[in-house]
Amino acid sequence: MLEIFEYEFMQRAFLAGMIIAVLASISGTFIVLRRYSMISETLAHSALVGVAVGLVAGYNPLWMAVIMAVISAWLIEYLRYSFALYSDAVLAIFLSGSLAIAVIIVSLGGAFNNSLFSYLFGSILAVSDEDLITIFTFGIVCLSVLLIFAKEFYFIAYDEEVAKTSGIKVRLLNFLLVSIVAIIIALSIRVVGSLLIGALMVIPTVSALQYRQGFVKTLLISLFFAIFSVASGMTLSFYMSLPSGATIVLSVLVIFIISLVANRR
Amino acid sequence: MKFSLPIFDVKNLYFIVDNQEILSNVSFEIFAQDYIAIIGPNGGGKTTLIRILLGLEKETKGEVRIFGKRIKDFKEWHKIGYVPQRASHVDASFPATTEDVVKMGRTSKRKLFSKESDEDRIRVEDAMRKMDVYHLKDKMIGTLSGGQRQRVMCARALASRPEILILDEPNTGVDVSSQQRFYELLRELNTKEKITIVFITHDIGVIADDIARLFTINQKAVICNNPKEALSCEEMSELYGIDAHLLHNHKHEH
Repeated sequence: MLEIFEYEFMQRAFLAGMIIAVLASISGTFIVLRRYSMISETLAHSALVGVAVGLVAGYNPLWMAVIMAVISAWLIEYLRYSFALYSDAVLAIFLSGSLAIAVIIVSLGGAFNNSLFSYLFGSILAVSDEDLITIFTFGIVCLSVLLIFAKEFYFIAYDEEVAKTSGIKVRLLNFLLVSIVAIIIALSIRVVGSLLIGALMVIPTVSALQYRQGFVKTLLISLFFAIFSVASGMTLSFYMSLPSGATIVLSVLVIFIISLVANRR
Repeated sequence: MKFSLPIFDVKNLYFIVDNQEILSNVSFEIFAQDYIAIIGPNGGGKTTLIRILLGLEKETKGEVRIFGKRIKDFKEWHKIGYVPQRASHVDASFPATTEDVVKMGRTSKRKLFSKESDEDRIRVEDAMRKMDVYHLKDKMIGTLSGGQRQRVMCARALASRPEILILDEPNTGVDVSSQQRFYELLRELNTKEKITIVFITHDIGVIADDIARLFTINQKAVICNNPKEALSCEEMSELYGIDAHLLHNHKHEH
């Protein structure tokens, strides 16, 4: 057995990381194709508000992150539909607004410490048994929803209007997709960190797109890239004592550059 | 034919935005197997009209019935195939083969948790063959020509086995020989498959001999049941402005 698996915390981190790699790459494919990549960054910052509340008030930060991210996702979609605001402007407002609120909460609560640092950049030491159970439970639900509605999400990503005219409940499914993305992001911040999760959602898909394949192959390539980057990033994190989020994102960036160069026209 | 229930029954339709009438008192019926071209100047309300028919916009006043039902009560959207205006423009890197795109047309037909059925596969292949894109089924959609993409979008609409096909300027950005071929395929769908066809076009001259009825939309609507006469009818010239004469001349050049 490899040395890194001799430690229980590494086994937990690897399991959590693999679940997150699967969820982030599949959900990421749909949001990238919808040109909605920035929502992952924004929701990650909203999740941070939940973490701040959790740390200061003594609730489970992961659960609070899930709740805050989902509420933000709904608010963003509501504002987009009801006030016809520009999507990217709404995302920018929520991104900075959430970060400001999170910083104020942790400052007032005196929780600016290493614990917060691990939520920002991810930590392989931080995944507890309780976290793993939460990630697994929510993960199964999210994966099921993504697979059940994959063909609808794909159609909407290609052409929202035609999907609507063919009788697909586009608005409802948009709400469902952003809710799922919000949950996945909140779950990921333990391992990848809230400042870096956006990259794990977006870059594997963008790298896979360079190979110009059909939908199923693109999804599988993206999945493979995400799993490979999480595994190599965590190994790097273990041996070099670096934050796991940063090493994971660095791995996926290397894959992106290779994909880009290899498929240059 | 005309004794049967119309597919679309539009009565006294108004569409008003910021006190400006985009559509004003428009009434018409569309029957099974109709073959209708909608023409009119830019900004005249053609696209708005079909968006209302498709339930994408809500009328300000008036009544629209689809297969006898009000739009809000209508659920059988698979009976209506829609090919949008920008269909020939697609993001080159979108991960979709021709077959992936045509399969989308079956999405609303499939139940939750269901796998692709034999019927789904047959319908998808059949739609690709009818639109002559079966040989392109493994090609990425971004690598196809404008004309080929247009036929793929049409095949996607056909995959749900619609009773009516609505096309918004299907040949924007498509070369002339592809356009001719496209209209031949549409005509075949209408005569052989008994599918009702409604399309917005600017190139009426190319197809004026084929179409059964011509709708001219410029805020108001003039319905001409004999398109050949329509191109020179005064009422239409008034609605369409100087373009009617241009269209008329354009037709004779072909």
